[in-house]
Amino acid sequence: MQQPFIAILIILLTIAAYLAMVKVYQRFTYPILIPVLTTTVIVILGLLAFHISYSDYMVGGKWINALLGPAVVALAYPLYNQRHIIMKYSFPIIGGVFAGLFTGMISGLLFAEVFGIKRDLILSILPKSITTPVAIQIAAGLGGVPSMTVVFVMIAGFSGVILGPRIMKWVRIRSHLGKGIAFGSASHALGTSKAFEYGELTVSMSSVSMTLCALLGSVFGPVVVWIFQV
Amino acid sequence: MKAIRIILQIVILSAFSMLGEAVHHFFHLPIPGSIIGLILLLTGLSFKMVPVKLIEDGAGFLLSFLPLLFIPAMAGVINYPSLFSGNGALLMLIVVLSTIVTMVAAGIASQWLEQKAAKRKEKKKCNSHLSQSL
Repeated sequence: MQQPFIAILIILLTIAAYLAMVKVYQRFTYPILIPVLTTTVIVILGLLAFHISYSDYMVGGKWINALLGPAVVALAYPLYNQRHIIMKYSFPIIGGVFAGLFTGMISGLLFAEVFGIKRDLILSILPKSITTPVAIQIAAGLGGVPSMTVVFVMIAGFSGVILGPRIMKWVRIRSHLGKGIAFGSASHALGTSKAFEYGELTVSMSSVSMTLCALLGSVFGPVVVWIFQV
Repeated sequence: MKAIRIILQIVILSAFSMLGEAVHHFFHLPIPGSIIGLILLLTGLSFKMVPVKLIEDGAGFLLSFLPLLFIPAMAGVINYPSLFSGNGALLMLIVVLSTIVTMVAAGIASQWLEQKAAKRKEKKKCNSHLSQSL
């Protein structure tokens, strides 16, 4: 009887912490206060403070984690809604997404190789520009460490959101389409949330390229690993 | 009523995810099961085999709480304290550099293709103007 009780308690506490952090972010919208980051820090501090192991936390946590699969499936809904825009701009979207996808995977791999990073970590870095639920599964499939991938995905998201606007200005990416595809391909869902500041076209382009990167990344991730013989 | 509908629709989305998982295992595909589920659902929606009404509330609900769903997986870094050492800073630098390069490549490539497409269209327009004036 104790196990289900603990599981429910963990789930409720995680949700409560998340909702509280959403409120904090609404009040103070600094990029560093993004709820997913602050809530994770709270959970980790909680586990450390009460000497709870990660596997004990996952007794409840796995139920939240289990919704990631259906959430990925749910991405079909916005994609379906935007099908006309996608058809209209299909050529620049596909070109941009392929450029971003391969640059993302290969540059991560090469930088990691240059700095002498261990193999399982290189494989965890590879899918970093892809949205978390898919990146986790790609990393696991390649033999990486999924929880490290989650951190790399978050760093890719944050750095894109914080540095992106300045870099795009610098290299003269001016069109809404180009900005959206850049945000979506490099910084997935976080980039897409930033795209809201540039208007609807940028948002659609960003979410489309995020989804396409996830789709194509799961196919081409293993191919890149095979070509480069990591 | 709406809560029940959302729960039922999440069950439907889970069914697609499990179906994708089954396809993934059965055919030994490199694509994750959830992505196969996404493709199946998108195909169903596009060919009107699955009505949008059947999933829109559940999908909207799940996507609005997307960040919450990452938290248990993210808390897993607790098992990798080395990430916060010197080596960890190096990994972060690699990810940031690679993200910048990715952004530039994706943005420039798509903007260039967009301009090319626009120019081609303009040319077509000019040509049709010409033929009209002739």
